[in-house]
Amino acid sequence: MFDDDVTTVAFTERDARQIARNLRRKNVAFLQTLVEQYQYRLIRYLIYLLGRREGVDDLVQETWLRVLERGSSYDGHSRFEPWLFRIARNLALDDLRKRRFVSLDSTPGNEWDAAALSPASRAPSPFLLAARSEDAQRLASSMQTLDPAHREALVLRFQEELSLQEISIVVDAPVSTVASRIYRALATLRTQLEEPNHDL
Amino acid sequence: MISDRHELFRSMIDEALVAGTSVSPQPLLNEHLQSCAPCREYLDASTRVISSLGGFSFEVDPSLQAKVFDALALRAQQPEPAQFSPNRLVMICILAAALTVAGSFFDLKFGSLLASVLDLHYAQLRQGLLTFWIIPSLCLLLLFPLLPLLSRRKERIL
Repeated sequence: MFDDDVTTVAFTERDARQIARNLRRKNVAFLQTLVEQYQYRLIRYLIYLLGRREGVDDLVQETWLRVLERGSSYDGHSRFEPWLFRIARNLALDDLRKRRFVSLDSTPGNEWDAAALSPASRAPSPFLLAARSEDAQRLASSMQTLDPAHREALVLRFQEELSLQEISIVVDAPVSTVASRIYRALATLRTQLEEPNHDL
Repeated sequence: MISDRHELFRSMIDEALVAGTSVSPQPLLNEHLQSCAPCREYLDASTRVISSLGGFSFEVDPSLQAKVFDALALRAQQPEPAQFSPNRLVMICILAAALTVAGSFFDLKFGSLLASVLDLHYAQLRQGLLTFWIIPSLCLLLLFPLLPLLSRRKERIL
């Protein structure tokens, strides 16, 4: 088992180096393979982050263009995913600012509150539309009302399988804050799941 | 006190789940779980929440990938903005240094001569040389090397 772990790590590092090399060369064909590989994950991350489907495709496109332009800043010493999600996150934040939903005195802690205030949040919940299992349907409404920062930490940890350290780099917050966000998100969703007469 | 004990075990469960490790290697927690139904339910509910996240499947616009490919191809064809190559940076710094030295040398050696030819006070000529030659080239020499640093910092921030 240990040997397998070492092989996996070595493969990941080789992958990261290969990605960094090709991004430095602005290899569009290689970038297209990355798009194929990460497209869905990027969409899912942005939906969790923003709590809406509207505008996500534009952000995805912007993210890949930014990857092409700034690819040389990825050094290949760490995994590609945190770097990619950080770009997407910054673009999403810029987008929110452009929409003027972020108040001037907003602090980093509540910067995503704007997502909840967005008119798009009155559209059908993307979580409700995406729920494919009974448990997911039970959680969909809570997912929509969950703090965006908590939802983000949840998807990065349990869907993207990023480590706490990697998440802290993506969200630019201490590891303890990230862990606390995940605990709180789990607590909220656990309560929702345990409710016996929850109306689906 | 009993509640505190459960809280302690539940925080251990949370930590294990968030760290992605199994609760079984922790003998104390394992022992507690075997005898405590509420904490076992807590673990089951947390595990259920985590696995239910996989029950969300978002629809993807089938044309999005093609749009992204087109946008990437188009952007790749566009000329890149001017980059600060090290050679260019050194050349510009040498040029700025040479201009500064030449301006100062000209002022010292030929300043008074030129002032008399142009029928000006030496102080006026020196002011002109400083304003339009020496200070601009000195600023170029001092500030130009900072531009790539600023550009790199912006890239790091993304």
